Amino acid sequence: MPGEKNRLLRVTEGLVALIQGFWTTFIHLFRKPITEEYPEYKRPLPPRSRARIILTRDPDFEERCVACYLCSASCPVSCISMQSAERADGRRYAAWFRINFSRCIYCGLCEEACPTLAIQLTPDFETCQYDLLTLVAEKEDLLVDHGGKNQEYNYYRYAGVLVDGDKGGHIQEARPVNLKSNLP
Amino acid sequence: MPQLIIDRREIEVPAGTKVIEAAARLGIIIPRFCYHPALGSVGACRVCAVKFLEGPVKGVEMSCMTAAQDGMVVSTTHPEAMEFRRYVIEWLMLHHPHDCPVCDEGGHCLLQDETVSGGHGLRRYLGLKRTYRDQYLGAFVQHEMNRCIHCWRCRRFYQDFAGYRDYGVMQIGNRTYFGRFADGPLESPFAGNLIDLCPTGVLTDKPARFKGRRWDLERAPSLCLHCSLGCNITGSARYREMIRVEGRLNEAVNGYFICDRGRFGFAYANHPERARTPRLDGQEVTWEEACRTAAHRLTRISREYGPGAIAVWGSTRSSLATLGVLQRLCREQGWLGPQFFNSPSRERKVKAAISRLDAGVAVSLADLEKADFLLVAGADPVNEAPMLALGLRQAWRRGATVVVLDPRPVHLPLEFEHLPVPPGGIDLCLDLLVRAAVSHSATEGLLPEAAAAFFNNLSCEYPGDQPLQDRLVSLGMKLKESKNPVIVCGLDIVRESTVVLAADHSRLLRAAKDRAGLFYLLPGPNAFGAGLLSLAGEPSSPSYADMLAAAEQGRIKALVMMETDPFRTFAGQPQFLAALDRLEFLLVLDYLPTPLTDRVQFFLPTTTVFEEEPSGWVNQEGRCQQAAPIYVGGRPISQEGAGSHPPRVFLAGIPGGEPQPGGQTLAALGVALKGTGAPLYLEELDTWLAELNPVFAPLLESKVTHPGVRLLPEARGDYAFSHPNKATLRDVPDDHLELLLVDWTFGTEELSGYAPPTQEVEQPPRLTMQSRDALRLGLGPGDRVSLALGGESITLDLEIVENMASGMMVLPRHRQLAGQKFPEGPILVPLQNIHKV
Ligand code: SF4
Ligand code: SF4
Ligand code: SF4
Ligand code: SF4
Ligand code: FES
Repeated sequence: MPGEKNRLLRVTEGLVALIQGFWTTFIHLFRKPITEEYPEYKRPLPPRSRARIILTRDPDFEERCVACYLCSASCPVSCISMQSAERADGRRYAAWFRINFSRCIYCGLCEEACPTLAIQLTPDFETCQYDLLTLVAEKEDLLVDHGGKNQEYNYYRYAGVLVDGDKGGHIQEARPVNLKSNLP
Repeated sequence: MPQLIIDRREIEVPAGTKVIEAAARLGIIIPRFCYHPALGSVGACRVCAVKFLEGPVKGVEMSCMTAAQDGMVVSTTHPEAMEFRRYVIEWLMLHHPHDCPVCDEGGHCLLQDETVSGGHGLRRYLGLKRTYRDQYLGAFVQHEMNRCIHCWRCRRFYQDFAGYRDYGVMQIGNRTYFGRFADGPLESPFAGNLIDLCPTGVLTDKPARFKGRRWDLERAPSLCLHCSLGCNITGSARYREMIRVEGRLNEAVNGYFICDRGRFGFAYANHPERARTPRLDGQEVTWEEACRTAAHRLTRISREYGPGAIAVWGSTRSSLATLGVLQRLCREQGWLGPQFFNSPSRERKVKAAISRLDAGVAVSLADLEKADFLLVAGADPVNEAPMLALGLRQAWRRGATVVVLDPRPVHLPLEFEHLPVPPGGIDLCLDLLVRAAVSHSATEGLLPEAAAAFFNNLSCEYPGDQPLQDRLVSLGMKLKESKNPVIVCGLDIVRESTVVLAADHSRLLRAAKDRAGLFYLLPGPNAFGAGLLSLAGEPSSPSYADMLAAAEQGRIKALVMMETDPFRTFAGQPQFLAALDRLEFLLVLDYLPTPLTDRVQFFLPTTTVFEEEPSGWVNQEGRCQQAAPIYVGGRPISQEGAGSHPPRVFLAGIPGGEPQPGGQTLAALGVALKGTGAPLYLEELDTWLAELNPVFAPLLESKVTHPGVRLLPEARGDYAFSHPNKATLRDVPDDHLELLLVDWTFGTEELSGYAPPTQEVEQPPRLTMQSRDALRLGLGPGDRVSLALGGESITLDLEIVENMASGMMVLPRHRQLAGQKFPEGPILVPLQNIHKV
């Protein structure tokens, strides 16, 4: 009967596959291991690997973040929330800034969206906690005292808005128009 | 009607329609910066270019400057047009700063949208960017001139549409600057519209500065409650906080625009002192317990002293549902009230006004803009209902004559004829003016009998003022020529007879010219709704003052105060507090932190128009409109976190989310009172209202949709003219001045009085009088005067003007004077009570 024959064939094939699989595993028992022991040994990760998020500062040591909401808008899991506010000198900043790391999927879209290079992902991935609330990071937990991957960029040197001094002082800007004169 | 083809689709539009509009009718939105339906075309930005393939115009042309004509074939997506537009955007962006992250417009910026959609992604221009210095423009509008693309919308609105001159354009070409000649607050009470109009981030909302991006906001169509016009707004909330209001198009009411009181007065909803939990004997309790206890106490009082020992106050700032359920509860339980108006004369005026409006004469604000003669009797539009002033201006721009009969120093952003007559003289002026206009019809026997009888009864002289009388007659001659006159009548300072006369005269004009309109201003956003209920509630409820007296004498034992602030009427009156203290039970329901909410033992919080439930409001022309809820309510996160991050806790409920819509609370109270047999107060409300007063019937037939449902009876042929005694001029005695209590744009209206941005711009109260009266009193400009009123005296600055009636003084019902009690009716102040200090 053709059915009988097929079954026999299938059983044989199955057995062969099983033995082959176990054999491969068995062979590996005698190979030299290439895994590192973690946490005893911590492998240095490339600077662009994506884990714990920081808020960086510009070369003038000011907070880079201008609370523009672009990172929170781009975040696919909506784990960034903040409140923008105006500092006494007119500079826009985040009155508070919160990242819920228990939701964050470390996709890096916030970093990509950020026009000021403020928000950056770092290689520090050891963020597990038992209590969910400890994974909710506030601005003081996120803010660092350096520029992260870029130490030079200062958004407020390019923007047109004034924080101090007169208009026209930013990069690639002409002196302000004199309204009381007709001279070019 | 020209017929044309746009993007292969055919459309027929009225002659004169621009191609950009014709395309919009097909749902094709051509890019634009300078074009705006309310402001028209100027062709300043060149971004609306389209390709004309066939017809009278050929080639790439501006769609906003080209009128649709027969045989046109237009392509909005032709490569030539697209390339043209891409270059225009690039050129508009040449000098644009690198600002989007710190620009409040970002997220709803037309320039961002057009830049992205036009395909201009990379900057090629590497030269220096032009910069401008910014200006301080007051508390409402933030200026950041570098972002300007010179579309001219701001100037066209500010000067052409709104009629103010202190903001405009300077310089030339690439240096063109939009601003004021010098720093300073914008003078126009409509300046906030610049924020909506400016397609870039030059002019942004200052109170909402840096509060959030458009994509994070909860937004919904809502209504302005800061006067009776019922302008349409879009409200925005974020993190349980109202942060912004914008104008919303309603072609029948406000058009695109709103006034600054409506735009910046919303913050009462966020007030930190707003009580948000039900309170019983000073203790916070649950809603169930609160309702049960309230019902229990009311039942006991009703049993012991009779239902007449319970009195109910309402107000005109409650939704129709709240007012309706309140009325129904009173009916069912036999309680006294509800009384919605704080003074009997006000109640009578409102009733007189709305009982005389019908679908034939009532005009909307939009209709009013098409009138050709506007007779404004006893109204100060900019101060009482600001958008009316813009409406009058649009009529004037179309060639209408505007005549204002008002004792106050009325200012309007248009050329108008102001006849500063005392309140008693307004009737006479109306008589004389209309008489002159219709006398030819009367003599020719063209008037129907009733109108002719009314005509015969009109006064024909203004005693003691021949020049005024002549002026009125010559204005009457102009009125005679008009085809579409409208009488505007304020209710605030006029005598009760004026309200009736305004209606009569509009009917008389209608009899003489087929077309005439009537436009009242009412006290409060839902005064019309309250008035309709009061009209149906005969015999009318006792007044606030009578109820207080009864409470003082112990005849009233319980008082229910629904969204009303008696301190605004009775503050400073010792009997008032005494009467409150004698009550056995005082139940206060409110959404405002009034002085009462702290004092009372039993308090139930209600929601504002922005929270939780849709609500209906009837504006002064009888238009019932609906405000959608914007957010669910609760204490703002900014207050919960005290400016820093929100508290680090997990919560199931919304902190401070207890307030409930007033109607819902009253319905729950009704159920608690009646038990299982209680009717479905809210579900059956419309049916019940329609039984009460048939004008509510349209609510049954259709949902209240945009642009609103008019609750007005059909025009009847048998209008009953009043037969007033011939109007006479009641003169003020020589040794007295009449004190007029008036409204100001900022500082007197109740809701905006709780909003910090409007508080910031309100001026301190001042006393205004005519120069002749000041001279009589030996007062000069800049003096401070003390005014003794009912035993108390107040000290204020004096303003001396020419353009007001003599024998009068004008004082705002100012928030800062709220502690003073002003007597009812015309207030006569003896001269010796006014002193220089
Ligand atoms: S995108 Fe950058 S600048 Fe903007 S809010 Fe996020 S971190 Fe701040
Ligand atoms: S005006 Fe628009 S394009 Fe310009 S900075 Fe603001 S958001 Fe950006
Ligand atoms: S300020 Fe705004 S509205 Fe005025 S011209 Fe510039 S971009 Fe246009
Ligand atoms: S005119 Fe009245 S209803 Fe309209 S926006 Fe101003 S205050 Fe509000
Ligand atoms: S919209 Fe047509 S030129 Fe500006």
